[in-house]
Amino acid sequence: MTHPLLRIEDLRVEIAGRDRTVHALDGVSLDLAPGDSLGIVGESGCGKTMTALSVLRLLPPGGRITGGRILFDGTDLAAAPEPVLRGIRGNTLGMVFQDPLTCLNPTLTIGAQVAEPLLLHGSLSKAEARSRAEEMLRLVGLPRPAERMAHYPHQLSGGMRQRVAIAMALICEPRLLIADEPTTALDASTRHQILELIDDLRERLGMALILVTHDLGVIARRVDRVAVMYGGRIAERAPVRRLFTTPRHRYTQALLAALPERATAGRPPAGIPGLPPSLLTRPTGCRFAPRCGFAGDRCRTTEPDLAGGEHSFACFHPVDPAVTRTDPAAAATDPAAGLRAPAAPPERSDEPLLRLSGVAKTYPLRAGPFARRRSGEGRAGEISAVAGISLTVRRGETFGIVGESGSGKSTLGRLIVGLEAPTEGTIRFAGRDISTLTRRELRAHRRNVQLMFQDSYAAMDPRMRVGAVLREPLVIQGIGNKAEQRRRIAELLDDVGLPRGAVDRYPHEFSGGQRQRLGLARALALAPALVVADEPLSALDVSVQAQILRLMRELQREKGIGYLFISHDLAVVRHLADTVGVMYLGKLVETGPARSVLTRPLHPYTQGLLATVSPPDPDAAAPGTPLSGEAPSAAAPPSGCRFRTRCPHAVALCADSEPPVAEPFVAGHRVACHLV
Amino acid sequence: MIPFLVKRLAQAAVVLLLVSVIVFALLHLLPGGPARAILGVQATPEALAHFNHQQGYDRSLPEQYVGYLGRLFTGDLGESYKLNQSVLSLLGERLPRTALLAGLSLALAAALAVPLGILQAVRRGRAADHVLTGVAFLAYATPVFFLGLVLILVFSQELRLLPAEAPQADSVGGILADAPALVLPVVTTALGIIAAFSRYMRSAVLDNLGEEYVRTARAKGQSGARIMARHVLRNALIPLATLLGLYLPTLFSGTLVVESMFNYPGMGLLFWNAAQASDFPVLLGVTLVVGVATVLGSLITDIAYAVLDPRIRSVP
Repeated sequence: MTHPLLRIEDLRVEIAGRDRTVHALDGVSLDLAPGDSLGIVGESGCGKTMTALSVLRLLPPGGRITGGRILFDGTDLAAAPEPVLRGIRGNTLGMVFQDPLTCLNPTLTIGAQVAEPLLLHGSLSKAEARSRAEEMLRLVGLPRPAERMAHYPHQLSGGMRQRVAIAMALICEPRLLIADEPTTALDASTRHQILELIDDLRERLGMALILVTHDLGVIARRVDRVAVMYGGRIAERAPVRRLFTTPRHRYTQALLAALPERATAGRPPAGIPGLPPSLLTRPTGCRFAPRCGFAGDRCRTTEPDLAGGEHSFACFHPVDPAVTRTDPAAAATDPAAGLRAPAAPPERSDEPLLRLSGVAKTYPLRAGPFARRRSGEGRAGEISAVAGISLTVRRGETFGIVGESGSGKSTLGRLIVGLEAPTEGTIRFAGRDISTLTRRELRAHRRNVQLMFQDSYAAMDPRMRVGAVLREPLVIQGIGNKAEQRRRIAELLDDVGLPRGAVDRYPHEFSGGQRQRLGLARALALAPALVVADEPLSALDVSVQAQILRLMRELQREKGIGYLFISHDLAVVRHLADTVGVMYLGKLVETGPARSVLTRPLHPYTQGLLATVSPPDPDAAAPGTPLSGEAPSAAAPPSGCRFRTRCPHAVALCADSEPPVAEPFVAGHRVACHLV
Repeated sequence: MIPFLVKRLAQAAVVLLLVSVIVFALLHLLPGGPARAILGVQATPEALAHFNHQQGYDRSLPEQYVGYLGRLFTGDLGESYKLNQSVLSLLGERLPRTALLAGLSLALAAALAVPLGILQAVRRGRAADHVLTGVAFLAYATPVFFLGLVLILVFSQELRLLPAEAPQADSVGGILADAPALVLPVVTTALGIIAAFSRYMRSAVLDNLGEEYVRTARAKGQSGARIMARHVLRNALIPLATLLGLYLPTLFSGTLVVESMFNYPGMGLLFWNAAQASDFPVLLGVTLVVGVATVLGSLITDIAYAVLDPRIRSVP
């Protein structure tokens, strides 16, 4: 690399808070050639985003660059005065942020926001800028761009807003695009479309790309090189294929071993124990040493330097390439992981625990004396969130529900827990229709079915200590006296692997993974027969995800709990679920044994969904036909088969009648499609 | 936008009808009825009965309400017992003066509070912010009558810069011509509002500066000042719009004190004098006007919202 476009040398960033300073970046060095692409990965809090933000000098309040240089096209951005930076930002250096819902100004039109950088950096007239903006919106695949120019962000879906954000970043045709978790907030099919779009535009515009992500699947087939960050430093840097096949740093190896995609029945994904360093003090020695199974005395006293050429790593006990070439995850941090005997299948019986028949839930679109009824076909002014779902969950079974956002997954969960009543159909739990239960019986029923949330922190009263949070369900159900409750809480904390001293602490004192353990402990407090887990792992890093996944399985084996596991992450569902149900716009389009549904999907939607998954493997075969477009509104679902508007095989029949449920090949593998 | 306005106007009409019911009820809740209130404790039962029949107070309440509503629509708010003038003409005379005072105060408040709030937000935690915060709290905590007295003492008695009495002209034009006399009443009314508005503006700007769209704008290469003008200002004005509508009725009661203090012949002074003279038709007339102002205030808030925030506009 003779003339790098971007060269970061020994970058140091500190973020000063009220009474403490975080050493967010501590000697980061990188280079990037023109047109090249680099992925930055690592757990949250490792400095990925800080690296990206420092390049544009957009650090959060209190953040400042304390050392090093950032050479972009010959200019040192670390030292450049504000006017020089302003000339570069949005012009030769574009950035796309994580959350498309909040990164656009809600009170300005799409057109004005996209044209803004052009007016700042170009010498175009307003009209010229507008027509360029429209062209750009067309290029990023926004349907009807001319019309969209006058729209406001809230009128677009999340995926469309991210397209707008990309259009904004690219309108001046930058030489470098920095994308910080650009798809994390999006659905699998949208994620795939956005990543394809970035790929395509990069090629067309010949720009360089830095893709920051926690998702190894996102970068596997999309960047040339990868930098793995840990504790504010770069742990390993390598061409993408080398990194995935022969990782050398123990941290990279552990990250790969935590992936559910790499797990097999005999080897569950291995979490990385502990947490990344807080960076309040600059650690001595290797930053990963406290969590590394291979760390020796030297690791704890001396900081390893990033050494090597194209593939460099900072580790005193690197992975032996000869071992990993055959199976990169074979020897992870937890050396016992690979040797552990296959998990005994959880105790399961054929007794149906939960049976839903024809369950539907509709919400009125609007209420109040001035509500305007929207006229349409069928029942006007209603949102059909769940439409005629029948399924059975057996005792001790894990039933995975997958689907995009808006498919009605969470509503289904709320119906099962009894938080809402279905508009139609019956929900039978342990043989009894829950709509016929008296108030007292319903309370008893709630003991048996518990909910675990995606964001356990938001679901806990921030002013209650953990002890009180865990005691509450016991008090409500009138179980035991104080001493017994205390004993039960200690037991629960043991079960989920938290110290007993946690009872005196507040939820905010825990990390994301620990909060999820607390959420699980609370769900288990009443020894339920079924736990409805709504996206319990989505907010977690893979390293922590693997820990929670393992914990959920262990508890299932010990206590015979059934899980209704709601997730958009097919890899996790594949790993955990015995049975899978695929939801689309309130309908269950396919259901059956997990292996059968996820390896030989019958419904075109399931096939499309599986094709959107980016496996964390650079050599994975290109997926089949991924889903295109977006799901229509549940307020006006398509007639007949609800999927027909996005289905590549749809015929006239699909619009006329709803497809019947058939069980064509494998016993229990049912599908609702005219064309199977 | 149009359907939104039509809907809000329809709602406002319903609320106004309710206001008329309440005002009507107030009239009949007077101890001993309006006759006793007007004719006094010495009046004979015959005199009371004669008065009630003459005024139609002996008919059924629904019948009376319909009559009252009918008179309202024709602009008949009754006659003042003391001033020998119709309430409508009294209000017609006084309302523009009060509206002038309130409007000028509100305009002054908005013109000063918005930049002050922005300044405080941008200089957050620095000297300017602390000083302005202190001054704002002091102004907010000082009662209007005390503030007025201090201002009169300083600017009128000591410095002899401004007159202590408000303009006494009959027309709005005449009042405006006597601008120096208008300064003290307007400033007295406005100070508390400036304090409140600037606090709201400060926190709204701070909230918006922390939003991600601001970071996006910086990533485009926008300068700080243009981000404020183009992106933040409009978003930060949204909470202020609520306040503006809510302040309209409060403003009318605020002018009551200010008008009596500066002897400004507006609606507040009219109300004050009528209250002392038990002039019920006038009191009820003013109450009705304040009720209407309240409804108008929330209507203005809604419209301002819709203008500022496209998300609200699109909700039918």
